[in-house]
Amino acid sequence: MAALWRSGLQRGLRIAAGLYSRDVVRRGLRASTYLSMFGEEQQPREHYQSSQTYTVAQESYSSSHSDQNGQKSEGFESEEELRQQLLSAALEFVPSFGWSLEAVAEGAKVLDLSPAVTGMLSHGPGDLVLHFVCQCNKQLSEQLTEQHLQVQAGQQEAKKTDGFVKDAVEARLRMVIPYIDTWPQAMSILLLPQNIAESLRNLTNMVDEIWYYAGDRSTDSNWYTKRAILAGIYNTTELVLVQDSSPDYEDTWNFLQNRVNDAVNVAHSVKQAGSTGKALFQGLVGAAVTLKNLSGIAQNR
Amino acid sequence: MAACRLLGLFGAGSWVGSGLFVCRRNLAACISVRVHSGRAEEKQTHFGFENVSESEKTEKVYRVFKNVAKNYDVMNDAMSLGIHRLWKDALIRMMNPLPGTKLLDVAGGTGDIAFRFMDYLRLQHERQSRRAVKSNQSPSWQQISDFYEQQNKSDSDLGSKAVICDINKEMLKVGKRKAEQLNYTEGLSWVVGNAEELPFDDDKFDVYTVAFGIRNVTHIDHVLQEAYRVLKPGGRFLCLEFSKVQNPIISRLYDLYSFQVIPVLGEVIAADWKSYQYLVESIRRFPDQEEFKGMVEDAGFYKVEYNNLTSGIVAVHSGFKL
Repeated sequence: MAALWRSGLQRGLRIAAGLYSRDVVRRGLRASTYLSMFGEEQQPREHYQSSQTYTVAQESYSSSHSDQNGQKSEGFESEEELRQQLLSAALEFVPSFGWSLEAVAEGAKVLDLSPAVTGMLSHGPGDLVLHFVCQCNKQLSEQLTEQHLQVQAGQQEAKKTDGFVKDAVEARLRMVIPYIDTWPQAMSILLLPQNIAESLRNLTNMVDEIWYYAGDRSTDSNWYTKRAILAGIYNTTELVLVQDSSPDYEDTWNFLQNRVNDAVNVAHSVKQAGSTGKALFQGLVGAAVTLKNLSGIAQNR
Repeated sequence: MAACRLLGLFGAGSWVGSGLFVCRRNLAACISVRVHSGRAEEKQTHFGFENVSESEKTEKVYRVFKNVAKNYDVMNDAMSLGIHRLWKDALIRMMNPLPGTKLLDVAGGTGDIAFRFMDYLRLQHERQSRRAVKSNQSPSWQQISDFYEQQNKSDSDLGSKAVICDINKEMLKVGKRKAEQLNYTEGLSWVVGNAEELPFDDDKFDVYTVAFGIRNVTHIDHVLQEAYRVLKPGGRFLCLEFSKVQNPIISRLYDLYSFQVIPVLGEVIAADWKSYQYLVESIRRFPDQEEFKGMVEDAGFYKVEYNNLTSGIVAVHSGFKL
């Protein structure tokens, strides 16, 4: 532990000695307040023991660097978190700037960062759209888990499969409605070759989750067909949504209901055809045996 | 006090006393060496394949570039067969500057990067205004006149600026003349300055670039720290520099070309064999891609990445100040 501290101190001091601006001090103080907020009190005390001669500013700066993640100062805990914050801030500007790097630049301004930070996004506007889609999927997942817990606790009645699926898809599509003016642009960005792999992954994960919470535990080819059908329903409903002009998008929800009913009917008909086929086959076999007996062929006496 | 002047980088006076104390107690070898050795002149560094003292190196590099300044662009074209233009274009494409970006081009002497930066912004601006016009199917006369006004608006009105800093006055002179000839009138500033001690305040620039300059400095880590200092939070550091070729066959051909052809070209075109011998040797002494990436990370940059161009002959390193 002490060795870790020393190495952290060394690193912090080396950097602190190089970075001599007032900002460093300010940042270090800010970082130290964050750290103390999160209950890391024993660190400053160890500092005082091993380094009585260092100034407070240096201590706090090095304490921010001896953080185990070793990633960041500036109040952000890692560059991943910074990226998430940047993209979330950028979403507010999407209605006015579209799904573009300008929106991300505006988001950067809000966070007091230079617009050059948009260079961090390797896929440009695609990263912004994918972030939004991930956020929506996470929200949907939370809603479904909560519903599931409530059903288990007996506070809610379990819905039938088709009703459940329809409600889940509707809830997910409603999250898109605030951005619906620019959503066609987002959809086209997701179809670009560099983004399509990630967007397909998101779609399959979402569809899988919906089916899981709908109670599907199939282990045969039904698993694939169910997910393929739901993905198809979702995509077509999305397309209807972006050109829908009815009040509260009623047409879209009716379309969705019809598609879900179609899917259920198809499933029923397939099952019925299967049982009819079996019954038919048995009938034929019976008839053949009767004929055989009547005509006396191949009698085993 | 001499030690402090040497370190030269401590801003506030209150830091000085504790700074000295820090140095003495500090376990990092680099800082203690600087203090205990007393004078940096005694430290040896490399100048091409020879070893010289640090202050000598600065002078020698200055003399090299003073001699090559007039033929710099011609020699670049001859040595790289014009490919250096593609490398610089790739750097600007990677930068992808938005309007309103403030660029600092260090060791930018003849201004190639800054000119390309201005061109890129102008092109983006034109494309944007053309798109805006296209979306109005039948524009009114008011809209048409607005469109012409927009086109005439130059980029400096939008706030994008490029500052070209170089230690060598001759290179800057050549650059200024080029700018006049090519008609880059607005948005450029030419500043004399040492990359290890930039004459700018903290947190001033959105993008810092150094193209084919960082291998000539005496202390690369000082330059990286200065870069970190002058960049705004969120700012980007970009370095275009010769690097290690990965492929052994291409590496052999490249070595052959470097050592046999380039100094000869230097002698024929610029009557200066030794400067171009230094150039080729300094490329070999520069750290490779991974090592330089480590150095950039040490200076405090995040998300440090590098892209090899032309199978590693040149690499672009990028880092963010977060």
